[in-house]
Amino acid sequence: MTPAMKQLKGLTTIIMAGGRGERLFPLTRDKAKPAIIFGGTYRIIDFTLSNCLNSGIRNIYVLSQYGSFSLDIHLRLTWDILRPDLGEFIYSVPPQQITVNRWYRGTADSIYQNLNLLEYERPRQVLILSGDHVYKMDYLTMLDFHLAKDADLTVAAVPAPRREASAFGILHVDADNRVIDFLEKPAEPPGMPGNPDYSLVSMGVYIFKAKTLVQEVIADAKNPDSNHDFGRNIIPQMVGKKKVFAYPFQDQETGEPSYWRDIGRLDAYFTAHQDLLGPQATFNLFDADWPLRGYVVPTPPAMFTGRRFEVGDSLIAEGCVLEDAKVVNSVLSPGVKVGAGAVLEAAVLWDKVSIGAGARIRRAVIEDGVVVPPGFTIGYDSEADAQLFTLTEEGVVVVPNNVRLEVD
Amino acid sequence: MKNILVVDDDDAIRMLIEMELAEEGYQVLTASNAQDALKMVQTEDLDLVILDIRMPGMDGLEALPRILGLKEGLKVILNTAYSQYQESFMSWAADAYVIKSADLTELKSKVKELLT
Repeated sequence: MTPAMKQLKGLTTIIMAGGRGERLFPLTRDKAKPAIIFGGTYRIIDFTLSNCLNSGIRNIYVLSQYGSFSLDIHLRLTWDILRPDLGEFIYSVPPQQITVNRWYRGTADSIYQNLNLLEYERPRQVLILSGDHVYKMDYLTMLDFHLAKDADLTVAAVPAPRREASAFGILHVDADNRVIDFLEKPAEPPGMPGNPDYSLVSMGVYIFKAKTLVQEVIADAKNPDSNHDFGRNIIPQMVGKKKVFAYPFQDQETGEPSYWRDIGRLDAYFTAHQDLLGPQATFNLFDADWPLRGYVVPTPPAMFTGRRFEVGDSLIAEGCVLEDAKVVNSVLSPGVKVGAGAVLEAAVLWDKVSIGAGARIRRAVIEDGVVVPPGFTIGYDSEADAQLFTLTEEGVVVVPNNVRLEVD
Repeated sequence: MKNILVVDDDDAIRMLIEMELAEEGYQVLTASNAQDALKMVQTEDLDLVILDIRMPGMDGLEALPRILGLKEGLKVILNTAYSQYQESFMSWAADAYVIKSADLTELKSKVKELLT
């Protein structure tokens, strides 16, 4: 038994799932960000929850706030699989307003407002995760690292090319991976010891000694100048005063950075879908060693009618019906219908989208239930698209399901 | 003059603390239960609360986060006959934890420390 396995009983896991997700608007206008459809049959939080299960973690609190109903529904439909009588659970915890009359002011405040949960559990370590990341990670390996270092706090960090790292929170570490500085979006990110072309990007995945966490969130709650956020306040304040280590999220043998994406922006959402596709997909959903659990709809298998369709490098969920159409580099959620002669290129279609015959869709995300009329085009005329839909910086069209699409 | 609220269900202790702190030159208000204390936190301009833990109705550890939620930055000293509550995470939100004693030297020195 490794030290982490022994410690598993002393571990409480908390997933942050309450943010408004404004940079994912309009997808988040009526849903929690972690409840957004991703990869056809998943919701974003499924990756973090699957990681927990694959790591042997089965007692999980999900702190929800904005759009919490969408998240509750998903947890009920997909994750009602644990046995509370065996001490296993996934509980959703919105702000309860028992001790304070306010919403969660930030991630750190959400822990402060739930100190009674920690009092009840009395964990030795607390694992804090985010509900809007796509990655596969064994948290027990990180816990082993944290325990071996006797750290007050361990921050998981993925190595990223130095020139691309300026947009993130960067951990400056010494040769022992002890964090000596935390820099928010630095112009000149510091390199890693032994790998100067790469910088360590904080993933928003933390393991705290429970007592340290409690002390820190209490002190933070009393600080009127704080944003009450782990990344912006707690972590920078601890560096230099407490034992803070960075856990490099990389292949243990080759040192190759592991896959991790923060689905915080529409372009990141779209691009991460492209990572799922092709025979050499950057992020492999078909990994027998690391099963990823999504919502399985009780519906018939996908049906392809006709004989002249062309489908390549795409994910087609159950219940889809495709006539003679061209579908490449696309992700189709359950129940999507594609009419004859339609062309889909790099399209992300949510549940029950209907694409009329001869319609052409390129580089677009379309919300559930949208009916695209026959012959309609999306992604070919950015001026026309911008009038009706959201157009991202990188030119991806986002079609919400509260607009009516009509052919002139 | 600094305003201190003493919250304790024991009349004798409340009076003792009130007297001694008044002698030190503080303005002292009292409450015999947590509910009354919460009301006074909202209506009075307080600088410090001395809070008993074991009280009928709402206890001091329940009242503490509510007090801090009502008035951020208000100083609180937990004043109890019991040492075991020091282990409770919620008690860590107080600025000090003083074990009750007939001799108020420690309590008074904590008050002075927090109010200067």
